[in-house]
Amino acid sequence: MKRRTLLLAGATGAGALVVGWLAVPQRSRLGSPGLLPVRNGEVALNGWIKVGADGAIVLAMPRSEMGQGVYTALPMLAAEELDVPLASVRVERAGNDTIYGNVATVLAGLPFHPLDDEREDGFGRAKAARWVVGKIGRELGINATGGSTSVVDAWEVVRTAAATARASLLGAAALQWKLPVDELKVRNGVVSHASGPSAHYGELARFAAATPPGTVRLKAREDWSLIGKPAPRLDLPAKVDGTARFGVDVRPPGLKFAAVRLCPMLGGAPGRVDASVASKMPGVERLVMLPAYGGSTAGFAVIAKTSWHAMRAAAAVDVQWEQRPAGPLDSARIEQQLEAAVRSGDGYAFHSSGDVDAAERRASRTIEAWYRAPFLAHATMEPMNCTARVADGKVEVWAPTQVPLMARDIAARVAGVPAEAVTVHVPLLGGGFGRRLEVDYVGVAVRVAMDAGGAPVQLLWPREEDTTHDFYRPMHVVRLRAAVEDAQVASLRIDSAGDAITPRWFQRAMPPLAGPVDLPDKTTSEGLFDLPYAFPNQRMAHTATRSGVPVGFWRSVGHSHNAFFSESFIDELAGAMQVDPVEYRRGLLRHAPRYRAVLDLAARRAGWGTPLPAARARGVALHESFGTIVAQVAEVSIDAGGPRVHRVVCALDCGTVVNPTIVAQQMESAVVFALTAALHGRIDIKDGQVQQRNFPDYRMLLAAQAPHVETWTVASERPPAGVGEPGVPPLAPAVANALFALTGKRLRSLPLNLAAADA
Amino acid sequence: MEAHVQLAVNGQAVEVDVEAEMPLLWALRDVLHLTGTKYGCGVGACGACTVHVDGQAVRSCVTPVSAVAGKRVVTIEALGTARRPHPLQAAWIAEQVPQCGYCQSGMLMAAAALLERKPKPSDAEIDEAMSNICRCGTYQRVRAAIKRAAGVKA
Repeated sequence: MKRRTLLLAGATGAGALVVGWLAVPQRSRLGSPGLLPVRNGEVALNGWIKVGADGAIVLAMPRSEMGQGVYTALPMLAAEELDVPLASVRVERAGNDTIYGNVATVLAGLPFHPLDDEREDGFGRAKAARWVVGKIGRELGINATGGSTSVVDAWEVVRTAAATARASLLGAAALQWKLPVDELKVRNGVVSHASGPSAHYGELARFAAATPPGTVRLKAREDWSLIGKPAPRLDLPAKVDGTARFGVDVRPPGLKFAAVRLCPMLGGAPGRVDASVASKMPGVERLVMLPAYGGSTAGFAVIAKTSWHAMRAAAAVDVQWEQRPAGPLDSARIEQQLEAAVRSGDGYAFHSSGDVDAAERRASRTIEAWYRAPFLAHATMEPMNCTARVADGKVEVWAPTQVPLMARDIAARVAGVPAEAVTVHVPLLGGGFGRRLEVDYVGVAVRVAMDAGGAPVQLLWPREEDTTHDFYRPMHVVRLRAAVEDAQVASLRIDSAGDAITPRWFQRAMPPLAGPVDLPDKTTSEGLFDLPYAFPNQRMAHTATRSGVPVGFWRSVGHSHNAFFSESFIDELAGAMQVDPVEYRRGLLRHAPRYRAVLDLAARRAGWGTPLPAARARGVALHESFGTIVAQVAEVSIDAGGPRVHRVVCALDCGTVVNPTIVAQQMESAVVFALTAALHGRIDIKDGQVQQRNFPDYRMLLAAQAPHVETWTVASERPPAGVGEPGVPPLAPAVANALFALTGKRLRSLPLNLAAADA
Repeated sequence: MEAHVQLAVNGQAVEVDVEAEMPLLWALRDVLHLTGTKYGCGVGACGACTVHVDGQAVRSCVTPVSAVAGKRVVTIEALGTARRPHPLQAAWIAEQVPQCGYCQSGMLMAAAALLERKPKPSDAEIDEAMSNICRCGTYQRVRAAIKRAAGVKA
C-alpha cells in the first residue's frame, strides 16, 4: 500500500496537499448563480446554466475548443437534460472558480491497470483511490483541457446542473399555476400543462431562481433524444466564413505586433546582441530581451507595426548565441544514454505479476527485440502566440491555451501583480495536441507587453521558432523479452527508458505544486505496464531519464510510442507461435471480453482473412488508452514514395457515445496525425539545435496520402470515455504489422523506414 | 520603401501604405484586419494563407503586395455571404469538415479555385489541387465535401 500512496501523490503532483484536502461533495460542483455574470435580462440558476429572457440557454464553458468538439459535446449534455434544441444553447467562457476544474485529468494520472475495474481483487483499491483523488481534484480545481477528459469530467456535473435548472424551472411553473409538477411537460424549452397554461424558460427564470429544485433525477437512457445521435457542431458556421477568432485573430484597439526569436540552441541564451541594423528598419519600435519563461529558452522579441515587420527585423538582429551551461544537447547521444539506461535494469516496476526470472530460467527459448521512438514536435497549425496588455497594474491576456489558470499565474508572476489583477481570455485554439498545456508563450508575451507603453501586443512565433522551441515528445528506447516454454509465451519483460514529462511540467507550469523529488510518472510506462494480455508472468519497468531536452505531452502521450512497441512485439510473438495475429490476441484476451469485442469488430469490418488485391497486406493493433479501447486494421502497399496506407478500419469501445459525428471525426483525425508521425515524424538535435524547422523538413501527410477511415463503435452503457487521443496509439503498429506481412521486414524504429529495416 | 499600393480586395478598392515586398498575407491580416486568412508557415508550404488573385488560388504568404496591385483579390470573408453561402461552404457544413478550423479558410479557397477550373474534379485532380496541410486530418471530409458541392459521387 505504501507504494500506491506514493504514486498517488506523484500522480496529482501535489504530495503536500494529499494531507490537507477537505471533503468536497460532487454536488457542490454545481456552484452558485453568483459565479455567472448576467446581462440583458439573463438569470443564472447555478454555476453552469443561465437562461436568457428569450429562453435561450447559456452554458459556462471552462474547456478550450481546439478541434475536439467540446463546444458542441458539453452543450449537448445540457440540452438533453433541459429539453431544449441543441442550437438554443450557447457557450460563454467560465470563470476561475474551482467548480470548473477538471477532476478527470487528475484521476487519469493514477497508475492503475485498466482491468482493475473489472477484477474482483483490484476493484476496491482502484475505486478507493479514485474517490480520494477525486476529492483532491475538486479541491484543486485544475482547469486543463487534456487527457481526453472533457466529456468524462462533464458527464455528471453538466447533466446534473442542467437537470437541476430544469427542476427549478418546472417547480416555478407549478407554483405559479398551482398545478402538480409531475403533470407538467417540457418541449423545446416550453413548459406546459394539458389544461392550457404554458410558458417558455425565459418567462419562468426569475421565479425559478428562487425555487428549490426538489429531487433532481437525470433522464433515463431510453429517454435521451440528443445523446448518442449525430448532431452538427455548433462551432462550424464561423469556421467556414472566416469569422472564427483564434488567438492570432484578436484585434484589441491600439494593437502592436511582435515576433519572437529564441536562442536556436535549446537552453542557451543570447550573448552579444547588435540590433543597430534591425532597429533602423521601417516599422520597428523596439527590441525586448527575454529570459527563459515557463521552461523555454531565452532570446528576444521585436515590437513593430505588423507581424511581418517584426519577423523581418528579428531575423536581422545580429546575435552571438551561447550554448546552455551544461553543454549542447544531441539526440544521437541521448539515444545511446537511453539504451544504457535500459540495460542498467534499475527501472521502476510499474507492474509485476508472477515470477519473470523463474520463467526465463525455465524457458526453452527467448525472443528479444529493441524498439525506438524519436523526439517529436506538435506542429499545431496555429503557431504559438499570445496577446497581452499590461497597464495600470493590470494584465489582460488573450491566450489560446489548454490551461487558463496556469496562464493567469505565469502572467501574474512575470508582471509582478497578484493573480486577481490578471484577466485571461481564451479564444479558439488552432490545434493543441498538448503543446498548449505549456504556458511559456504566455510569459513571454506578458514580458514583451510590459515594454509596450500600455498598448496590447500580439506576440507571434514564426513557424521556425514554433518547431525549434517546442516541448517535444520524449525519445524512448525499450527492450521487450518473451520467454517461451512448451510452445507458449510464459513471461513478458519490458524495460524502457525515456524522460518523464509530468514532473518537468509541474516544475515549469505549476511550480508551487512541484515536489522536491521526481515521483514515478505513469505516462512513461502507460501502454506497456497496462497491457490486457494474459501472460502468466509479467514485469514492466521504466527508467526515467533527464536528457535536458524540454519534453511535453503529445497527443496520447506515452501510449503514442508504447503502443507501437507493445503491439508490434505482440505481432512478433504471434509470428513466433505461428498463429494468426488476430487469433493470437483473442487467445490472450479470454478474461477481457471488452477488448476482444473491439478486436472482433475491427477484424470483421475489415474483412480480416479475406483476399486482398495483389501487393497489399493488412496489419492489426489493439490498444486501450484514456478509458477507450481501439482496434485498427490497416491495409497497406508500397509505392515509389514508400509505404502507402489505403484504408484503416477503426473499431472502438468508448463507453456511451455522446455525438457519433465527433467520435468519427476524432478517429479520422487520430489516424492522420499518427500516420504523419509513423511515416515522417522525427526531431533531431545536433549541437543543441533542433534540425527540422518548418513543414518542408518536418513533413506532414497531405490529402493525397490520407487513407480512407471507417469508424465502428461497440454499443455500451458505460459512462463516456475519451476519444481525442485513443485513436492515435494503435495506428503505427497496425501499419508496421501490415508492412511486415507484406515484406517480411520488421520495422522497430519510428518513423517507419523500409530501407533501414532489419530483415 | 513604403509605397501606396492599390488593391482590390473583396470587391472594394483599398490603398495600403506598406513596403512593396510585404507579403499580401500581412497586408490582409495586420493592415486591413481581414483575419480569416491565416499564417501557417510563411514559406508557401501549408496553404493556410490561400486567397484568390484574379480567380486563381495563391499562397499569400509568399506573394508580395506589389504583385497583386490592380488585380482582384478575394479572401474567405467574401467567398459567400450569410444569405448566399458558396456551395462549398454549405457542403463543408453538411459533411462537418472542420475541427480546429485554422486551415479551413485556405482549404475552402483552394477548393473553390479548383471547382472554377474543374467543375467535376476526379480524385487525382483533388489530390493535386488540395495540397494544404491540416493537422486535424480533415482530408477525408474535405474530399467528400468537394464532391458533394460538385455533384459527383463520393
